[in-house]
Amino acid sequence: MIIVGMADSAVAKKPLKLTTLGLGSCVGISLYDKSTGVGGMVHIMLPSIEQARSKDNIAKFADTGIPALMDAMVEEGAYRHRTKAKIAGGASMFSFNSSTQLNIGERNVAATKKLLKELKIPIIAEDTGQNYGRTIILDTENGELTVKSALKGIKVY
Amino acid sequence: MKYNISDLTEIQISALREVANIGIGNAVTSLSKMISKEVKIEVPDLKVELIEKVPEVAGGADTIVSGVIMQVAGDVDGYIMMMISESSVKTICSTITGEEDIDILSPLNQSLIEEVGHILAGSYVSSLSDFLGLNIKISTPMQTFDMLGAIIDHILIEMSKKAEHALLFDTLFMIEGHQMDGIFLTLFDPDSMDVVLERIDRMI
Repeated sequence: MIIVGMADSAVAKKPLKLTTLGLGSCVGISLYDKSTGVGGMVHIMLPSIEQARSKDNIAKFADTGIPALMDAMVEEGAYRHRTKAKIAGGASMFSFNSSTQLNIGERNVAATKKLLKELKIPIIAEDTGQNYGRTIILDTENGELTVKSALKGIKVY
Repeated sequence: MKYNISDLTEIQISALREVANIGIGNAVTSLSKMISKEVKIEVPDLKVELIEKVPEVAGGADTIVSGVIMQVAGDVDGYIMMMISESSVKTICSTITGEEDIDILSPLNQSLIEEVGHILAGSYVSSLSDFLGLNIKISTPMQTFDMLGAIIDHILIEMSKKAEHALLFDTLFMIEGHQMDGIFLTLFDPDSMDVVLERIDRMI
């Protein structure tokens, strides 16, 4: 099992598994090309690198992390046009009062969808929003994405 | 931002640790009074970490904890978080209520934990503001039971817009011989760290 940290990404080939732990407002994007068994995962924190003070870590942002992940998968043999996405996370764990903090989870999900659309990668499963955390596991054997939560059980997409 | 959190001097670090120590000491005294039990603490550990590494350092992103979060505002801005394991939640609740079979999700026990967090953070912050001569207030607490990473990632996202590193005070406490697997985290934004360090530099 390869663990993808916060603001981190990784690529793996069949039969390895990729996981990222404790997604709250962050979004976990898993990409998979069934024909080659190449999968990838990125754990993004923010929608866009544009406003960022530090641009060192491109895996932190949806608009840089997702294209970089796709490129890294292509290098490992994946086909762009066969790659499909499953996404999870983007919760709002608390209702903070301050308006600047509203809906970072939703904004992350929206940016993720926009980026995947631009890259023409279809989203075939989505488990986002609500108010609870998620741990996700991508099995590159079959492309299944397992979503675990503390109190809401386990779902397989 | 005048100070770079990742290259603080030895003396600044020990001063910060001392400030945290005093704050936590007072917090624990308050908790001890509230529950009429002996509470001990270990000296707070101070760490400077990349924001992305905080969930790992704080005990693992998928560790399931009861988290109480409060916003800090005034002369300094940031967050105070208390995260405690399920078994420690049970210890606290049964110590206070005297009940043995604790349902950690019951509204009563949830608000109990929320209140414990609030008291700890309140005394911590008030001793910090006395010591440093700053006006610091905390918001009402928000409590949830979930994965550690999920509870704090929102805050880390906010922090990561302004800084790459976070300063963490990590502490461990014991209630009547029961070790609490819990951590008490303080995250200040970079401008606030400047304010705190300026005060400390003046004292040294």
